[in-house]
Amino acid sequence: MIKISYKLPDEKDLEAMIGIVGKKYASNNKAITASYLAKSVMGLESQIPDIVIRPKYVEEIRKILIYCSAEKIPVSPVSAGLSGGFACPTIRPGGVLLDLGRMDRIIEIDEENRYAIIEPGVTNGTLWAYMHKNHPDWAPPIADGAPPAATVMGDAIDRGFSLYTSSVGPQGDNFMCGEVVFPNGDVVRTGSWALPFAKPFYKYGLGPDMWSYLMGSQGTMGVITKAAVKIYPHPKYKTVIVWGMSNPYDMQDLTLEVGKQEFGVSNHTVMVQGGNYPLVMARWPKDKIPHNYEFFKEIGVAKWWMNWETWAQTQEELDYCIKRINSIAKDFKQNRAKDPDAIKPQELHPKQIASRMKKPNKIAIPYSFWEAGFLFITWYTPWNECAEFAEMYNAEMEKRGFPPVMWIASIERCRQAICMPIICFDSTKDEDFEKVQDLNAVTTEYGLKRGWLNYRPDPYIHIQAYYQAGMYWKYLRAFKKMVDPNMIMHPGRLALP
Amino acid sequence: MAKTGMDRLQELKKDIFKCIHCKACRFAYSGEPDREGIGEFTGKQGTVLYEGMVDACPAGIEYGWEAFWNAGKIWIARSILNGDLEFTEEVRDVLMPCITCGQCSAQCENKVRTVDIIESLRAACKEAGVPMIDKHQLVDRLVKELNNPYGGKADERFKWAKDAGLEKYIDNKDAKIGYYVGCTASYRQVEVAIATAKVFEQLGMNFTLISDEVCCGSPFFRVGAVDTAQELMNKNLEAFKGLEKLYFSCAGCYRTITIDYPKWMPEDQKLPFKTQHAFELISKLITIGKVSFKPNKELKGKVVTYHDPCHTGRHFAVDMEQEMIRESKNLMFDMRKIKERQEAWFDVPRVILRKLEEDVGIKFTEMYRIKLNSMCCGAGGGVRAGYPDFSLRTASLRCDEANAVGADILTTECPFCWRNLSDANDLYTHGLQVMGILEMISKYNLLDLKEKPTQKELLE
Ligand SMILES: Cc1cc2nc3c(=O)[nH]c(=O)nc-3n(C[C@H](O)[C@H](O)[C@H](O)COP(=O)(O)OP(=O)(O)OC[C@H]3O[C@@H](n4cnc5c(N)ncnc54)[C@H](O)[C@@H]3O)c2cc1C
Ligand code: SF4
Ligand code: SF4
Repeated sequence: MIKISYKLPDEKDLEAMIGIVGKKYASNNKAITASYLAKSVMGLESQIPDIVIRPKYVEEIRKILIYCSAEKIPVSPVSAGLSGGFACPTIRPGGVLLDLGRMDRIIEIDEENRYAIIEPGVTNGTLWAYMHKNHPDWAPPIADGAPPAATVMGDAIDRGFSLYTSSVGPQGDNFMCGEVVFPNGDVVRTGSWALPFAKPFYKYGLGPDMWSYLMGSQGTMGVITKAAVKIYPHPKYKTVIVWGMSNPYDMQDLTLEVGKQEFGVSNHTVMVQGGNYPLVMARWPKDKIPHNYEFFKEIGVAKWWMNWETWAQTQEELDYCIKRINSIAKDFKQNRAKDPDAIKPQELHPKQIASRMKKPNKIAIPYSFWEAGFLFITWYTPWNECAEFAEMYNAEMEKRGFPPVMWIASIERCRQAICMPIICFDSTKDEDFEKVQDLNAVTTEYGLKRGWLNYRPDPYIHIQAYYQAGMYWKYLRAFKKMVDPNMIMHPGRLALP
Repeated sequence: MAKTGMDRLQELKKDIFKCIHCKACRFAYSGEPDREGIGEFTGKQGTVLYEGMVDACPAGIEYGWEAFWNAGKIWIARSILNGDLEFTEEVRDVLMPCITCGQCSAQCENKVRTVDIIESLRAACKEAGVPMIDKHQLVDRLVKELNNPYGGKADERFKWAKDAGLEKYIDNKDAKIGYYVGCTASYRQVEVAIATAKVFEQLGMNFTLISDEVCCGSPFFRVGAVDTAQELMNKNLEAFKGLEKLYFSCAGCYRTITIDYPKWMPEDQKLPFKTQHAFELISKLITIGKVSFKPNKELKGKVVTYHDPCHTGRHFAVDMEQEMIRESKNLMFDMRKIKERQEAWFDVPRVILRKLEEDVGIKFTEMYRIKLNSMCCGAGGGVRAGYPDFSLRTASLRCDEANAVGADILTTECPFCWRNLSDANDLYTHGLQVMGILEMISKYNLLDLKEKPTQKELLE
C-alpha cells in the first residue's frame, strides 16, 4: 500500500466544521466519537474518528470536502454504518466521520418510470414503510437480510444484495443515476441526470458510465448525496418453495438448473438463498441448543437447503412456478443428484413462509447470541463453484472451532453466487480475533488462487487481491486521483491510500 | 463487600461485546416496518406516524447524536473496557440523559442487557472520580441525610396514613404482609398511597407499614450512586426482616427491590420475602371471581388508555426472559414459552381494565406503542431530576400518543409516571385526566368485593 501522510483534525478544524454545519452538528466529544465504533460484524480494525459531522445539505458536504482536502484530513462517509464485512468503519488514521443520517428525504417516487429518488440517510425500514403505505403495489430494493436501520444507499455503494437480486442482479444494478460530491469540489450527476432537464430514467448517459466507478467505491471517491433506485412491482401472489438435500453440490446443481430457466420461471424467483443447518443453530447461544444434526433433522431442517422466494402477478402464474420448480427438482433427484434419497421438498407452515418473506427483518442479527460477536465474510464465485467454496470454508471454520455457518444466494439467475460464511466467535477473547484473522488469511489465499472475488474487502488481508490486479488498480487510483487529488476519502479502503 | 460499577461492567462484558451496532434498538416494533397502526397524528410535540417502526429511544430523539441512542452507549462501554476511552465529564454528560427505560433491551435480538450496562457505566464513571451532575449530587445528599430524595422529614413519611385514619397499620406487629409505600407516594402522590392502603383494607388484608422504611434506592442505582443505593438496600432489608411478603404501589420501588436488590446483594443471598405489585393482586382476584366493579355514571363512556410503566412492564418482562434463558437447555424450544409468559405478564393490568370496561362502562383503548414496545414517560433514570425539560417533553410525547387515540383518561400504575405525565399534561395542555388504576378504583368507590381473599391467596 502506498503511504500518504494525513493531518489529524484539531480544535481549529473543528471550528471550521462548526462554521459550516453549526455547533449542533459537529463534535469532537470523545464519547460521541467513540460511539461510532463497530468492531465486530463490521471489521476488526475499526478506529475511533477524531471529529463527527452530521451535514444536511449538499453544499455543506461540498465545503467540508474542499476544506478537508486542502488540509489533508481523512474523511469517511457513513450512511448508517451497518455495513457487513469490512466496508464501513473508519480505520487509521481516524479523521472526520461524516454521518449522513440527517439527509433522510425520500424525494420522489415515480411509478410510471419506476424509480425512487432518495438521500443517503433513508433506511430500509423507512422506505419500505413509506412504499407500503403510499405505493403498496411497488417494492423498493432494500437489502434482503439487513436490519431495518441500514440504508438503501449504503447497500448500493457496497453493491449489496437486495430482495430481488436473484432475479434482477446486484444492488448496484438497481441504481439508475446518482449525484456525487467529489473532494475537488465538483458536484456531478451521472447517467441521464447529467442533463439538466432529464429525469433519472437511464443509468447510462453521455458516453462511458461514471456511476459504475462509484458502485463498490465504499466511500473512497466522493460522497453520494442522491440516487435514483429502481422500484419493482410488489404483487400479492408470493410464496417460498424449499428443497432440502444433504450436501452443497446437490444444492448448487439443482439451483443452477432452475436458474438457467431464464425466460421462464427464474425471473419470478426474486430471492434464491440457502445454506446449511448451522445457519439455524448459530442464532442461539452455544450452550443452549443441541449441536448434533439429529435434533435438526427431527424438527424438519435439512442438512442443506435452498429457498426460492417466488413472486407472480396471478395465482395461475404462481402455481406454474411452483409446479415447474418442483418438477425440475424431481427430475434432478431421479437423474443427476449425488445423494438422491436426501433430496426432499420441505413443507413450510404459512407462518414460516410469512416470516421468510418479511422485509426488512432482524433475521441476521442474532448470530452474536452464539458467543459474543460475528463477522460476515463475503465472496463472489461463479455459481457452479459455490459448493467447492462452502466445502473449503466450512472445513477451515471447523478446524478453528467455529461453527460452519454458510449462507449462499444466487445473483441474477445463478450467474454468480454470493457466498457468506458467518464467523461466530467470542470477541472478548484476543485469541479468537487471531483465529479469525488466520482463517481469513488462509481462505483468501485459496480463494484468490481459484479466481474468486472478495467483496467488502478487509483493508489488510484482502489487499492481496489488488496486488494481483495491478493494472486494474492503477486505473482505479488514477480515477481517484482525478476526483480526490489529496486522497482524503476513506483511506485504506480498496487498498487505496 | 459492596459491588462496584466496574465489577458489574466486567460481569456484563460478554453482553457488551455481543452488540453488532445494528441499531434495531432505536425503534419500537423494530422488526415490523409495515405494522398496521393508527396513522399520523400531530400533537403538542410535532407529528408522529403511529405505524410500522417508530423512533422510541427518548434520549436519541432528544439529542440526535449516535452516542445518545443505545447502540452508541454500548460501544462507549466497549471503548471503556478496551481502554480506548476514559471517563470524563464529557462522557458523563452523554451517559446521564438516558431514562433507562429499557426500550432498547426489548428490541435486541442478541439480548444485550442494555439498561444494566448503562447503569454500570454510570456507576463506574462516578467511581473513576467524575462528579455526579449537580442535581444528582443534591438528591444524593438529601437521601443520605433524610432517607428520601425529596427533602421530606423522616418522621413525616407516614403522615398521609395518620391523616387518612390508617395509623393502625404503622408497625402493625402481627402482620406478615408489608406495604412498601416508597418516597413518591409518601411525600408527593399521597393519593396513591391512600388509595392502595384503603383497597388493601377493603380486601381485609392485615398489613403493616414499616416506620423504618427508607428510599428503595432506585434513583441511585439508576444514576450510578451504587454505594448510596446499597446502603439504602441494607437498611430496608434490615427493616423488612421477618415479613413474608411485600406489596408495592410504585413500579420503580417494585422493580428495584425485586430485580436490583438480588443483583447487588452478596451472591449467596436471596430476597427473604416475596414481592408483588398491588395491581397484580387485584388482577388475580378478578380472575378468580372475588372482585368485580360497581357501575359508575361519571366514568361510563370515558375513553381510558393505559401507560405501561417501564419498571413494572418491560423491566420485568426482560428480566423474566433473562432468567428463562439462563435456565433453558434448548432455547429454540423455550423461546415460545418466554414470549407467552411475557404476554401473560403484560396482560395483568389489562385484566383490570377490561373488567372496568365490562362493569363500569369505560371504553378501554390501547395506544399504538404498548407492552414491550411501550414509550417511556420520561421520568426515570435520574432524568426528571437532572434534565427536567427533556423529561417533560418525553412525557408530552406520551400524552400525544394518548391524545391520538382520543383518550379522556390516561391511567398508569406508577406514581412517578403519574407525576411526570400529569405535569406534562398540564404544561402542554393535553386535556387528559391522569390517574392510577387503583386511584380510580378508590376515588370512584368502584370495588365490589364478592368474597374476601384468603391469607394464602394474599401470601402467594
Ligand atoms: C445483520 C446484518 C445483515 C445484513 N444483511 C445484508 C443483506 O442481506 N444484504 C446486503 O446487501 N447487505 C447486508 N448487510 C450489510 C449492510 O447492512 C447493508 O449493505 C447496508 O444496507 C449498508 O448500509 P449502511 O447505510 O449501513 O452503509 P454504511 O455502512 O454506512 O456504508 C457502506 C459503505 O459505503 C460508504 N458510504 C456510505 N454512504 C455513502 C455515501 N453517501 N457516499 C459515499 N460513500 C458512502 C461507506 O463509507 C461504506 O464504505 C447486513 C448487515 C448486517 C449487520
Ligand atoms: S444493543 Fe442489540 S439491537 Fe442495539 S445495536 Fe446492539 S445488537 Fe443491535
Ligand atoms: S434505556 Fe431508553 S433512553 Fe436509554 S438508551 Fe435505551 S431506549 Fe434510550
